[in-house]
Amino acid sequence: MLLCLVSGILFFNACSKKDRIPGNGTVYNPTFLTLQLPAGWPAPAFSIFAANPLTEEGFQLGRKLFYDGRLSRDGNFPCASCHQQFAAFATYDHDLSHGIDNQFTTRNAPGLFNLAWMRELHWDGGINHIEVQPLAPITAPNEMGEQLSQVLQKLKNDTGYVRMFKLAFEDGAITSQHMLKALAQYMGSILSYNSKYDKVKRGEANFTLSEQQGYTFFKAKCETCHKEPLFTDFSYRNTGLTLNTFTNDFGRMRITGNRADSLKFKVPSLRNAALTFPYTHDGRLYTLGQVLDHYRNTVAPGPTLDPLLTGGIPMTSTERGNLILFLNTLTDTVLTKDPRFAAF
Amino acid sequence: MEKATRYRGWGLLFTATILLGTACSKKDTPAPDEPVGVVTLSFSHTVKGVPMVLNGPAYTNALGETYTIRKFKYYISNIVLGNGSVSDAEKESYHLVDQASTASLSFNLLPKVNSYTTLSFVLGVDSLRNVSGAQGGALDPLNDMFWTWTTGYIMAKMEGNSPLSNQPNNRIEYHLGGFSGPHSVLKKITLALPPGKTLDVRKGQISAIRIAADLDAWWQQPNSISIAGLPICTTPGAQAKAIADNYAKMFTITEVINN
Repeated sequence: MLLCLVSGILFFNACSKKDRIPGNGTVYNPTFLTLQLPAGWPAPAFSIFAANPLTEEGFQLGRKLFYDGRLSRDGNFPCASCHQQFAAFATYDHDLSHGIDNQFTTRNAPGLFNLAWMRELHWDGGINHIEVQPLAPITAPNEMGEQLSQVLQKLKNDTGYVRMFKLAFEDGAITSQHMLKALAQYMGSILSYNSKYDKVKRGEANFTLSEQQGYTFFKAKCETCHKEPLFTDFSYRNTGLTLNTFTNDFGRMRITGNRADSLKFKVPSLRNAALTFPYTHDGRLYTLGQVLDHYRNTVAPGPTLDPLLTGGIPMTSTERGNLILFLNTLTDTVLTKDPRFAAF
Repeated sequence: MEKATRYRGWGLLFTATILLGTACSKKDTPAPDEPVGVVTLSFSHTVKGVPMVLNGPAYTNALGETYTIRKFKYYISNIVLGNGSVSDAEKESYHLVDQASTASLSFNLLPKVNSYTTLSFVLGVDSLRNVSGAQGGALDPLNDMFWTWTTGYIMAKMEGNSPLSNQPNNRIEYHLGGFSGPHSVLKKITLALPPGKTLDVRKGQISAIRIAADLDAWWQQPNSISIAGLPICTTPGAQAKAIADNYAKMFTITEVINN
């Protein structure tokens, strides 16, 4: 049995052996990993690692890239500048994040976790694969502001990267494709499934009475869009937020060109909600209480308003309070403190 | 005892590795009973039949609007040679043809030995590669033909200037993409060889097909495109589709050479 396992590992490596780069002491002999999915969760609709085999070496390269400011033009804006581990990889306490040359981004940075289930990325769903997402922030003039060719040149000039690319990829080439696949291995491995809510589901903890009542209210009023266990149904909806006349952001309509998608944005996961404030695509609501008050009182009517939100979501102050207590149980401090995802 | 078991294990693995090594090296070699020849496909670009010059003379479209050209590049993918009963599809068939790069204007196919009467290809990058993550080679985003705000390749790109443009520096820019839905710009193009002519692919010989692409096709038939009305088109949609409907007809085979 053990022999079979060992053979299996070598089976993967067998094809790589013939192309090893001789004479430099760097051997491509990766350790293949399998992303362990939380028990009872639905299988992802597609495998982000199908054409990008997950390896320890690829993951570590992706981790180094994620924290490296050299991916930006002036060296100060790594991916991690807007995606902070202690905020579940959102930007803590910022409605909009800071980009290069004292600029703001135009949308609230989402938390990064459970991306293996997310077919489309960005608030408008414009990005259809995790591997190509980093091209957007790297090249955006108000985010990292750098040219792809410049990034690759900086990596090629660094002997540490030369070595790590050789360890992570069979031909060892420092290419945009390899850089993007390594970043996808790191980001796609970030899972959040150890909140108090998860422990309750696994029978390892109990809700307080208030949390339980909040959960019951959540199941009745919120769960259609924020579907468990990922707390999103991955759809795009108009939640009755008026147009931001500064950014003129119509959301999904920019991607589809369809008027019916005007002011629709992706339903965000509620996992780690307490850490990912402010909320909404432009960060206009600073607290969970303000979000719930929006659903109670200020849902704006309009032709594309989600039918489920017509008239808002009525709730008593007690229900509002209990719901916030329940949402706080979605905070995953195992993720936020996991040294495996920390700065390289 | 434990040591012996381990040695036996290594022996087994060693054998397995050799077997796998053999299997891996074989996969890209064509079977010996399928000899291939070489076909050089070359592209030349014209405007109303006159050789295109970048940053050069002013050209005039069907509406009498003048313009100059700074960039002209497009993807050719999924190349297939056929003769009615047999077809030969190039593997990993993605090519970026760029007027600014002489090297990009011709490349070799390695089809099976046969006589062919049609050449077909997709102008653009097929939808599957638009949804499959990071790509390399001709499809590397470094080639400046990939959108970052909405995932997808720019299938064809033309930039230049025109006094009719109301944009900064009288710029004109056509970045044509969109791979799905009613406004997909993907065009499958089939070109018949000149009547009575065949492309004869023979082992050890180099044949050639020369293709001309005339940019003037972009402006008319079936859709009249006005520079003044549409100086910039850089998002997928009905306008991009209208130009794509035009440029689908820009290619003609000018010569077939059998050696």
